[in-house]
Amino acid sequence: MDVLGNYKSVISARSTDKDITKKSQDGGIITTLFAYALEEGIIDGAIVAGPSDEPWKPEPMVVTTKAELLAAAGTRYTISPNLALIKEATRSYGLDRVGIVGVPCQIQAVRKAQLYPIGMRDVDDKIALALGIYCMENLPYQALEAIVEDHCNQKMESVKKMDIGKGKFTVYTERGAVSQMPLKLIHKYVQPGCNVCLDYVANLADISSGSVGSPDGWSTVFVRSMKGNAVWDGAIAAGLFETKPMDQVKPGLDLVTKLATEKITKNQKNVDARKTMGLKADGTPKGLRNPYESP
Amino acid sequence: MYVFSTELCGNTSIVFRTPKYRNEAIYLSKVVEISPTTRHEGHSKLVLKVNDEGIIERGDWLSITPVRGVEKLAIGKTMEQVPKIASRVCGICPIAHTLAGIEAMEASIGCEIPEDAKLLRYILQCANRMHSHAIHNILSLPDMYIPGTDVKINPFTKEEPVRSVALRIQRLREIGQTIGEIVGGEAIHPSNPRVGGMYKNISPRAKAKIYDLAKEARVLTQEHMEFMIAVFRDFQTRGTTEVGGVEVQIPDDLGYHRQGYMATAPVYGSSSLDETPMWFPDRFTEVRPWDWYMGEVEISEADPNYPIGGTTPVGNKAWPQMEACTGVPLYDGQPVEVGPRARLVQFKNYDEKGAMGLQIARQMEFPETAYGIIDALDALDTSGSVLADEIPQGDGSFGWAANEAPRGTDVHMAKVKDGRVEYFGMLVPTTWNFPTCSRALTGAPWRLAEVIMRAYDPCVSCATHMLVIDEDKRLVAQKLIQ
Amino acid sequence: MPGRTPEKRPEAKPAATQPQEKPAVKPSDVIVEEKVEVVQKEEKPVAEKITIGELHLSGCTGCLVTLADNYEGLFKLLDDYADLVYALTLVDVRHVPEMDVCLVEGSCCLNDKISVEELKEAREKSKVLVAYGGCAAYGNITRFCRGGQWNQPGQEAFVPISEVVDVDLYIPSCPPCPQQVRNVAVMAYLLLRGNDEQKNLATAYLTPLMQLAQRGNEACGCDLMYDVINQGLCMGCGTCAGTCPVRAITMEYGKPNVNRDLCIKCGACYAQCPRSWFNFDVMNNYEGIMDAIKGAME
Repeated sequence: MDVLGNYKSVISARSTDKDITKKSQDGGIITTLFAYALEEGIIDGAIVAGPSDEPWKPEPMVVTTKAELLAAAGTRYTISPNLALIKEATRSYGLDRVGIVGVPCQIQAVRKAQLYPIGMRDVDDKIALALGIYCMENLPYQALEAIVEDHCNQKMESVKKMDIGKGKFTVYTERGAVSQMPLKLIHKYVQPGCNVCLDYVANLADISSGSVGSPDGWSTVFVRSMKGNAVWDGAIAAGLFETKPMDQVKPGLDLVTKLATEKITKNQKNVDARKTMGLKADGTPKGLRNPYESP
Repeated sequence: MYVFSTELCGNTSIVFRTPKYRNEAIYLSKVVEISPTTRHEGHSKLVLKVNDEGIIERGDWLSITPVRGVEKLAIGKTMEQVPKIASRVCGICPIAHTLAGIEAMEASIGCEIPEDAKLLRYILQCANRMHSHAIHNILSLPDMYIPGTDVKINPFTKEEPVRSVALRIQRLREIGQTIGEIVGGEAIHPSNPRVGGMYKNISPRAKAKIYDLAKEARVLTQEHMEFMIAVFRDFQTRGTTEVGGVEVQIPDDLGYHRQGYMATAPVYGSSSLDETPMWFPDRFTEVRPWDWYMGEVEISEADPNYPIGGTTPVGNKAWPQMEACTGVPLYDGQPVEVGPRARLVQFKNYDEKGAMGLQIARQMEFPETAYGIIDALDALDTSGSVLADEIPQGDGSFGWAANEAPRGTDVHMAKVKDGRVEYFGMLVPTTWNFPTCSRALTGAPWRLAEVIMRAYDPCVSCATHMLVIDEDKRLVAQKLIQ
Repeated sequence: MPGRTPEKRPEAKPAATQPQEKPAVKPSDVIVEEKVEVVQKEEKPVAEKITIGELHLSGCTGCLVTLADNYEGLFKLLDDYADLVYALTLVDVRHVPEMDVCLVEGSCCLNDKISVEELKEAREKSKVLVAYGGCAAYGNITRFCRGGQWNQPGQEAFVPISEVVDVDLYIPSCPPCPQQVRNVAVMAYLLLRGNDEQKNLATAYLTPLMQLAQRGNEACGCDLMYDVINQGLCMGCGTCAGTCPVRAITMEYGKPNVNRDLCIKCGACYAQCPRSWFNFDVMNNYEGIMDAIKGAME
């Protein structure tokens, strides 16, 4: 299996919009693309992870302006159930062209909702732009609390930014403290559903983006679908991104491939192990359910 | 009862030779059964006693849809869940059942909802009526002709002008369903209404979108109404129509009846919370089919060419009393007609009788659906609260809500205590219309019985309900029928 | 039955309103007309349409309305891909005919002889029998039925149709989606009339829906617990909450909570969940398949 999925081009990029890069995690790719798509009428609104009443607990929200978009920028390391709003966005929000951002499994859910719209009436042709972000694994909110408050000894309310990179989970606080913990320690906190995920770089997104493979402050961008291609070309023509070819940046595409391969190989083993996890009376293995084979 | 029928037929082209013959006909009548009937929601059948001329002397139209027993399964469930289940008795007018169900709960617990929630529900009501009247056109048109021609209308043909009309019908349905979806969450079985109001108000963008759709519908409904009325008027004046290879006389009084009308509002409805309620539980009684419908009969006439698949072959038995799946509701001791004409009669002095009079009344409601949506939007504050601050859990009081569904008054009744439903009843439009329409069959050629029946826009699945019976009232009703 | 009525001249017509011959009196007559015209259109890979019927049992007709809610697309389907040969609410045919695909709406009342007989007849006379909608597939709200209501208090046993007949394919949810039944109709057409490549695509597409039919006829929001969370497969994407047609599911700290007092047992949440099934062979080709379906409907 091709671990990076189908794509038309891959490039290292960063937003030229300083308002966005000030607030964004890496290259500000997602925020800039949505802002551009809103401006151009490619989308009427986007479902993004916004703030909630608890610190660093994301909540899906529908944004229809750049200001709202900026308020939601930045990565949170616990999942925001963005798909929960995908139908509502076309209902009481009145959107005809919906943008949605999500981690790979969420983009998978978007495509399933389009191809098999079991309970997703009138949604399939309203997904105008699905942007994916790379994801190695995800943490329950309480795990994030344990990492920040116990391992890193910081208060959730004080944290300004969280980041994963170079084998470390890093926490920056409002008042300048920086705490780190080794990534390998967080594995025990990963939600179980992530262990069977076979997608690292959101293979089914229109455009997917993440920091891996590009220098600090830059993102590696895969342009995948026809739709994604059109939007990307438009944004480039509008001068919204600085770009560099992937073969001219460090650490480069090889690192993306390496991490994707690692994730998928490890998780494929997990999927296989589930097939023989238990024991039948006759001594043969008994398996758990495998979503990649049948419902 | 039979005397009525012959009188009604007296001024038509169907000639009765002598009064003596009329009397004989009662004794010599044959029985035709059309089962199942087609081009309406659900399963029903017609058992018709006809004379030698094929004129109906007594018609029984009855539901044969299995009784899912929603009223009984509701008992013990939460007041939030019951309207969700009640919605699912009918997929054509689910909004009526959702709203009547919820409002019956609200009436029982005494919960007033915010004005903006009421406006959203009003928009839903209009949107549903637009879609439902339009889909009914598709079901009625195959009995009709392209005006001025002998070409019957097949709504699925590619031929013009039919295709353009069919596309307009679908566009009207699309507008209605889309507005229903935006405001109600789902186009079929709305999820947004809830006890106490609505889950969500709509965004300003959604409001603008609905305006656009309603403005388009305003023009389309007008055009469409005019076309449909021309079609029904054409049928009224064409004299004969062809059914299964037989040329049948169309009587001038096709589908006339002498029953009264019941309606609670021009558009929306009423409930026991209203200052001036428009429906009166005390005037309602119900009898069982046993006391109303025919006893066992043997089919003695059949037409294998009746489209498509023929009528029930001779020799089979029918037993309407036992087979009917609905009761017979009475208002002031009589069956009444509910629906578009009843609304127009009660509130707009409409007076055209007969099957086509009812069809035309339905078309006349079309433009109002678009205007109603626009007016409600004008008044809607999209930032207003749509959920009551406090939702009482109920003390077992009786409450009712009547919703003017596309096909007539839909009354739901409930008693809620501590959030659970203790009693639930549904008086669904077609339940009211079954006995009334049965009377309207008298005097018509049996081959046109389905044309009359379809004029009522039957929704049989939801009609399959029946309420408790008061023994005394039942006796009164029985006398009236005899 | 359609098929034995004399064919209509395919020549151009002078004026649409001019009756040219004895008017078609039965809808099926005109279905035949359409067939003749379709032969003249050359953009289609194959000329012969499949036949589709809808059997209405103890349902609410919402599933049939759903089919009609393809709006203009309904005509496209009927013009080019499928003849609607049975559906009491839409066409005059009174008795179950032979058909390629039978969509069954509603659960089956075991206490109603006609329901059981018609269902068996539909099984016998159709190549592909589809449990169309939550009631036929899983019972949906009729799972709550318990009889005791006049005028037929004895009618209390309602079962998903797979208790009575073998079912080939499920389309869950209450109501189902117009786009889902459209996709199944187009895929059934490709399966029955297409070339090898199209057959393969259709088979791949339809397989999970056929597997759903094999999985069983019990559905509930609880499936999210039993078959997703309990199995260690949930990653909290939110699809179930977005799907639920009665707003019974909310996301609490990244996982679904099902308000079981609201759940109607329609099967939508589990079938829509990306972790109930995810067939890469089809999904990886989503762009092509969606374009193909879109193209077929234009």
